[in-house]
Amino acid sequence: MNAPEPKTDLKVVGKRLPRIDAGERVTGRAVYPADFKRPGMVWGRVKRSTQAHARILRIDTSRAASLKGVLAIVTAADFPEVPMGSSIPFGETGQDLWVISLINMAREKVLWIGQPVAAVAAADPHVAAQAIDLIEVEYDPLPAVMDIEAALAPGAPILHGHLITKGVEPAPRTASNVGARTLIARGDVEAALATAAATAEQQVVVDTAHQGYLEPQAVVAEADPTGFVTVWASTQGAFQTELMVAGLVGLPLSKIKVIPLEIGGGFGGKILTHPEPIAVRLAQKCGRPVKIVMSREEVMIGTGPAAAARIAVRVGADRDGRLTAIDGRYHIDTGGIPGTATTLLMQASAAPYQCDNLRLEGFDVVTNKPRTEAYRGPGGIQAVFAVEQAIDALAQKLDLDPLELRRRNAAVTGSRMPIGTPFPSIGLTTILDRVGAHPCWTDPIGSGRFPRGRGLALGYWRGTSMTSACHITIAGDGRPMVTMGSVDLSGTRTTMAQVAAEQFGLSIDDVHVVMGDTKSAAFSDAAAGSRVGRTMTAAVVEASRDALEQLKARAAEKLQCGAGDVTYSAGVFGTQNAGGASIALADLMKATLTEGAIVGRGVSTKLPLGVEVGAHVCDVEVDTDTGQVTVLRYTAFQDVGKALNPTAVEGQIAGSVAQGLGWALTEGFDYDSQGRLRNASLLDYRMPTALDLPPIECVIIETPVPNVPYGVRGVGEVPIVPPAATVANAIARAVGVRIGHMPMTPERVLRAIKGEAFGKV
Amino acid sequence: MKSIVRCEINGEEHEVLADGRDTLLELLRERARLTGTKEGCSNGNCGSCTVLLEGAPVNACLVLAMEADGAQITTIEGVAANGALDAVQNAMIEHGGTQCGFCTPGIVLSAKALLARSSRPDTDEIRAAIAGNLCRCTGYDKIVAAVQAAAQAMEKGP
Repeated sequence: MNAPEPKTDLKVVGKRLPRIDAGERVTGRAVYPADFKRPGMVWGRVKRSTQAHARILRIDTSRAASLKGVLAIVTAADFPEVPMGSSIPFGETGQDLWVISLINMAREKVLWIGQPVAAVAAADPHVAAQAIDLIEVEYDPLPAVMDIEAALAPGAPILHGHLITKGVEPAPRTASNVGARTLIARGDVEAALATAAATAEQQVVVDTAHQGYLEPQAVVAEADPTGFVTVWASTQGAFQTELMVAGLVGLPLSKIKVIPLEIGGGFGGKILTHPEPIAVRLAQKCGRPVKIVMSREEVMIGTGPAAAARIAVRVGADRDGRLTAIDGRYHIDTGGIPGTATTLLMQASAAPYQCDNLRLEGFDVVTNKPRTEAYRGPGGIQAVFAVEQAIDALAQKLDLDPLELRRRNAAVTGSRMPIGTPFPSIGLTTILDRVGAHPCWTDPIGSGRFPRGRGLALGYWRGTSMTSACHITIAGDGRPMVTMGSVDLSGTRTTMAQVAAEQFGLSIDDVHVVMGDTKSAAFSDAAAGSRVGRTMTAAVVEASRDALEQLKARAAEKLQCGAGDVTYSAGVFGTQNAGGASIALADLMKATLTEGAIVGRGVSTKLPLGVEVGAHVCDVEVDTDTGQVTVLRYTAFQDVGKALNPTAVEGQIAGSVAQGLGWALTEGFDYDSQGRLRNASLLDYRMPTALDLPPIECVIIETPVPNVPYGVRGVGEVPIVPPAATVANAIARAVGVRIGHMPMTPERVLRAIKGEAFGKV
Repeated sequence: MKSIVRCEINGEEHEVLADGRDTLLELLRERARLTGTKEGCSNGNCGSCTVLLEGAPVNACLVLAMEADGAQITTIEGVAANGALDAVQNAMIEHGGTQCGFCTPGIVLSAKALLARSSRPDTDEIRAAIAGNLCRCTGYDKIVAAVQAAAQAMEKGP
């Protein structure tokens, strides 16, 4: 694709325009799968494991089957067994289908409480719930491992008898609970630490947290008499859902269509399927459309939360405050099935800095908890909670301003990334200059009843590009109709309408954008990795140009000139010939409607990365009687390349920060020793309310990415990366102690203040 | 056990056959087919199902359908009059107060209940009024700004 020259006189891109789908949202007309109904539709419900670790001896469905109103029952026996090593296309690495098959339905063994073991379809939801209770599952319980420490302990119960740790030489001879070891290293960390003028270290434990999307997973599935399956889904990727369902149910891709409906938040947790393959199988068995709507408790125990972690970091610097070493060990609690890659989070924690000696070592550890899934910059907040506290402690040891320490070591365009390649365009030093000049950094902190402190932390997230595609047809009145292969997770329809309007020189009201289904739109990867805004922009630009070229050929006939002589501007075709005639786009379409369709095609497959960087500053007050931390002020600085729509960008940044603050202070899964989640409700799993958060100020900085239309960067992920470290650094400045356990609940903060040892709290 | 529940929803008389186990939320969504009211948790923690019952905001998941017999209920579908959006709805659109949209119907109704009793709420009052409505997308600032703008618009009058 041709990278267009940056436009200087943008008319629609970059403007604060309301979401084009906001009207249906504020009136309750937006349709999510739970709102969707098909004629003859019945209700599915999932039977879930009550054991954290057990062999399944027997599943008896006979009593459930004889309940009046029960129409179908499925167990693992109704799904083809997926061999280990199977994968489906997904971005750079593919997606492990074996993992997804066990998330879908336990086979032989259950690995966490909440893992599906059976499901029913019934004419009425109350009957479906009753039937679930009548399914008898006999288990042979096995000892469970509930955290990283227990999983690594000598003699720990082994979850997977085949699991030989990858990345260790020589390969271990026995199975363990470590799926893989990953190492990123350069230079000599030990020597650098030994000769450093100052060193600091930080160990942290991070509890499992949940994405907390307000809309529980829901789906409607139907198999027509020919066997063709339609799935109405709430998903971050319609094509990924199609690949997963087809793979798990055993359908050719030509026999299934996924129609994405509205998605009520995903944040990484709606990439992998949950109820979808089960609903399809039930629909196939009972011959009726089946709806499954998960309850909140099912969401909490039965979907893929964000990983718990244990991380230990050491950093060193020379007398001038130049970082000489970053040494990090990252144990990531991947839940019941191995396969969480640790490399991105390891890179994220070290990437903001230029440092010659690095040793970043990651471990993917299995425990008897739900298989974790992505959550907004997956692993970033956990890793940075450790590293940015260590960096802050280093500044204290060097008696250096924490902003100045970061300035002296900040990564710049062309400096070496942790993996060794040169940094693509990055505006970190600009961000730090803006922080230094901003009132959030220069204002006096003020005084309150309790000690106050100001914290600073940096964040980096790589993001990804992968594939996005769209096509543009032209309506009979000349208006462009954009069909995207991606879903709209974060206002994509609006920003893409802006891009198409800009390309056609029209108003946003003249452009119509829809999420296509998997049989009407071109393949696109899931909305994940801060990729859709950037890559779909490239696709829309390309498709707009393609459509305009086709239109110019038509205009040439009307204007009686060569296609190369046709000009286009703001909805009007003209000629370069002297005294040239012109024809409006609308008139051209009206005159040529029956001459066949205009279809502009656009695809982006290998767009340059739009790495995200940010710096966050906050002020806190710490109640030394209770340990309660109040965030008084919060400011997020972020380089977004180009804000396609500043209101949407602020929405992404502030929402991401809010999630980070929730995990930082109150959100954590509380498991008992038997693997039962004790806070499986939104009362006990405490997400921030409007009263818990301060105003979040967003400072947008625009350093364009070269060779990317409009220079757009990823936006949504990096703002969740620094908040916990930012708050922790502010707490340390306020009360002089570092909190090593996240969430930093009042109890943990109080214990730290009172000097009790870090660790089991 | 099923019985007839008669109530007025958005100014229209409804007569629906409800199961004894049905909540008002199920009555609205499944029996009256008014799916604008969302189910986020079913135990009163998230506020996504906020509706006005006799003018007061309630979590429809915590009210039994039978209890709504004879009541006047306003759901999100009843906020816009004759196709014209209400001040809160307009302000939510204008200020970017809706993202994924799942919490939006409940927040609009909580805000309407606030503005019905307080015409010039400050930000603390607004935050308190929507504190029962979880939003996971926005961080709340744009919602607070929208409710303030709606209050100003209502004061000026149409």
